Amino acid sequence: MDKQKLGIMEIEPLVRDRYIQDEFSIIGKRGIARMCGKEKAGGRAEYTRDVKLPGMLYCRIMPSPYAHARIKSMSTERAEALPGVRAVLRYDDPELADKPLFGLETKFNAGHLASDGQAFYHGKEELAVTQEQWKQGAGRVLDGVAWWEGHPVGVAVAADTPELAEEALSLIDIEWEELPLVLNPMEALKPGAPLAAAEINNRNNIIRKLKIEHGDVEKGFKEADKVIKFDARRRPYSVADAEPMSDVILWRGDNVEIWAHQQQAYDGKIIFGMKMGIPLNRIKLHVPYQGSQFGGGGNPMMHHTHGVHIISGILSKRTGRPVKTFYNRRDNFYNLSQDADCHTTFKVGFRNDGTITAVKIDNICAKMGQYGIDHFEENTRIPNLALNYLETNINVAPAYWFRCEQNHNALCLSIVFDHVAAELGMDPTLVALKNDGTEGRDMEYLSKFKKEHGFPDRDSLKEAIELGKKAIDWDKKWHLPGTKLLPNGKLHGIGFTWTHEWDDTRGVACAGVLMHCDGTVDILSQKSDDGLNAMTTHCQIVAEEMGLKLEDVNFRFFEEVGFQMMTPDGSCNLAVDAYVTRNAAREAKQKLLEYATTPIKLIDITYPPAFPDNYPDDLDVKDSVVYLKADPCINVPVAEIVKRATLNQGGTRAPLFTWNWHRQGRYGTEKGRHRLTRQAYFAEVEVDPGTGGVEIKKIVNINDVGKAISPETCEGQQYGGDYMGAGRAMAEEMIYDPKTGVKLNANFIDYKVFTMRDVDTTVNLLLETGMGYGPYGLNGIGEDIATVVPGVIGAAIYNAIGEWVDDHPMTPDKVLKAISKANVKRGGLK
Amino acid sequence: MIQKQQDDGGNKKVTMKINNQEYNLVIEPHWTLRELIHDKLGLTGTKEMCDKGACGSCTVIMDGRPILSCMALAIECEGREIETVENLEVVGHPLVDAYANNHAMQCGYCTPGFVMTAKALLDKNPNPDEEDIKDALEGNICRCGTYPAHIGAVLEAGRKLEGGKK
Ligand code: FES
Ligand code: FES
Repeated sequence: MDKQKLGIMEIEPLVRDRYIQDEFSIIGKRGIARMCGKEKAGGRAEYTRDVKLPGMLYCRIMPSPYAHARIKSMSTERAEALPGVRAVLRYDDPELADKPLFGLETKFNAGHLASDGQAFYHGKEELAVTQEQWKQGAGRVLDGVAWWEGHPVGVAVAADTPELAEEALSLIDIEWEELPLVLNPMEALKPGAPLAAAEINNRNNIIRKLKIEHGDVEKGFKEADKVIKFDARRRPYSVADAEPMSDVILWRGDNVEIWAHQQQAYDGKIIFGMKMGIPLNRIKLHVPYQGSQFGGGGNPMMHHTHGVHIISGILSKRTGRPVKTFYNRRDNFYNLSQDADCHTTFKVGFRNDGTITAVKIDNICAKMGQYGIDHFEENTRIPNLALNYLETNINVAPAYWFRCEQNHNALCLSIVFDHVAAELGMDPTLVALKNDGTEGRDMEYLSKFKKEHGFPDRDSLKEAIELGKKAIDWDKKWHLPGTKLLPNGKLHGIGFTWTHEWDDTRGVACAGVLMHCDGTVDILSQKSDDGLNAMTTHCQIVAEEMGLKLEDVNFRFFEEVGFQMMTPDGSCNLAVDAYVTRNAAREAKQKLLEYATTPIKLIDITYPPAFPDNYPDDLDVKDSVVYLKADPCINVPVAEIVKRATLNQGGTRAPLFTWNWHRQGRYGTEKGRHRLTRQAYFAEVEVDPGTGGVEIKKIVNINDVGKAISPETCEGQQYGGDYMGAGRAMAEEMIYDPKTGVKLNANFIDYKVFTMRDVDTTVNLLLETGMGYGPYGLNGIGEDIATVVPGVIGAAIYNAIGEWVDDHPMTPDKVLKAISKANVKRGGLK
Repeated sequence: MIQKQQDDGGNKKVTMKINNQEYNLVIEPHWTLRELIHDKLGLTGTKEMCDKGACGSCTVIMDGRPILSCMALAIECEGREIETVENLEVVGHPLVDAYANNHAMQCGYCTPGFVMTAKALLDKNPNPDEEDIKDALEGNICRCGTYPAHIGAVLEAGRKLEGGKK
């Protein structure tokens, strides 16, 4: 391939496994216990929140009481006088003067994305984030201006105990200048609306404007048999993650140690190094277990969570003690990612056979890039698409990823397809199959593409739909909307939706494989554990590739070892990370077999190898034993081979080490890297026509994972995503006081996270077509389910009541309203 | 504050048994049991998620009953017997293995709370059915949505306990 065309990329973007083994003994096997399981279940797993160092101080940052305000003056005298308070860091401290967070520099936007933030959207530069958007996360570390209620600003206090730090905050005297605020993205666009953050944009509240056109929508509407228009809204909701944010920083002379609760912890280290002027080799990063993240902390728009390190760092340097800065639950709701408030208008043209000829989307979102059109571009043959996208700033906490940034995009796809099917009275699975394709091209094109690039040519959506229909008994249960009243007086509904596999099968990772002289292996790389079972998964890969027993491989990824993987893994990054463990393991095995056959010469003595008369190719490894392929009875344990290679010297160091680095594709969107696997979802609900209450009886997920390394882990993502997706569909919403912008439900009592009883049954089926871009043909699914499930529940509710509730979450009051509307339309439900 | 320190601010000597060991503690009146266990005694398996009695992550067993340690004042625990999650591996309780075998965790942050709630159930009823388990665990929040996996884990542990008796 022509290197010029690839720009900075040195590898083919369409890299994938051309050869997929059928037979594995450890990969894909069920019944393997989770390697971190005993630590976690037994309460021995350490999280950043649990880290306590000798002499550690506790730091609290002031959460702004106002949604938009500026500090006019501040007195910290009373706090400083409180015994046990060791340091106070003020917003006007000279050391903070040069600590703008992101958006103010183009050179480095986010470590894992690119060295020049504007470059990574090759061919789609309009999608690159704007300076304004980068800035929404924070202006300066500990600024004197608050852009949302709870914004960590003004002052940070380090004290001997958490209680003292809290008490000290209450003793800070601040004179605030309250500024006018705006909370709704539609209001924010009106002429004369208050400016949400004049520091970011002093003309209006727009932080990004985007127009995308493919084909000619007007022509597409003319070609349609029918054109419909409708609106939808997705209200904001929060990550509400499990472990409240904290970090610990210890300054030791010229060196610094960081304990981070961060999904992209290495980015945090890079930012810290840049801001504090410390070379990276003087910063040591510890990444303990992570109490869930879902993108909430440390993502590119959440710069203030990286800013926490800078505060802890300055305070540690000044006090000579380790400093833990910690959020409480309310702070967490304030400051970790939430999902944006999106208002969308659709215009859709289609033929009577279900072929969609044009989709036009006008989308106004608060604070983040959820364009609405992406899944139509990547997932369908619809030739005419148009998007008008406006992103506005408002006075609520910044928003970006929350498992994942595709939430509104996926919802838009679901809503359009299900609306079209409903208008035609057609089975929605047929409408999906009719329009499946990629970038305006049909399945024939995709089929050719697969063959040309060495992928198996399977129809993923068709297979997924067949499996799902069977699992939910679709052919028997699907009915026309609002027509099935159950004997218990409830309305029965059943829905379907679909999408492609997830986006992020690209990025960079590196890892080492090190064998000790007893034949056991350590995988060397650092990553965050977000619960996706990376520990077991990578051990399975290395054990499989090297022919070792699984228990002979370990992966403790908490400490910095010079290699970094992407996080989360399993969800999406496994398609990159698994290449490095796999490739390093293959090289390590080759080395091992060379050790087994190569004599060792020491000046005048030659030590014979374990297999003196053979070549590496004559040997193989199974269950941690090297054997002669021609006669497996001749065998030597792996431990014996490495021991021999080191000549059994006392204090022997690890004799066998390999490492691998892999870059796959580039972040952003590449032309011609088509998504090949598909995901299908079905749901069954019962709606109480008297109360509008919805019971979710069943969710069926069929996810094409390409190849499952750990099937139980994949299933965990499926049912886990179901509960989160169902919660998003039915209950999750951040509520703000409309006058003051104060969050009214920043706690786990009033913010409803779904629990065990909230979904009756989930059925989780894995499809393995080998059409992913990862090794073994795998691709990630962790982000799909929670993202797509709200759409399928919406479709099921529509099927039950015969009216759309396109305003998420679909709380009982909205469902009830829709039922009344349906009743009026039909002159009463039977 | 100085005044407070001189009269020790209402601090009280309290004796309690934690994981079968006697503790003689001087407790500040505002400490919750979770703060005592996690922050002061370093038994960090008892997690803080909501700090408001809503999530179950901080569950410990007190005198045989699962309680939310973030909602209990340590000062009121005089003479109590408390079991935390760390005790389970010490006594070789089958729940720990069963949870690992059944992948009944993802990030694992909420897991000790579920495990202790399940332990209290199995102490009373080592042979629970699916509904019993749901009744016991329905109040615990898991943001990763691991709920279905808990059923299998608790059933497996129950089977092992029952088997042990025979
Ligand atoms: S932390 Fe105690 S119930 Fe949530
Ligand atoms: S396993 Fe992550 S919160 Fe339950």
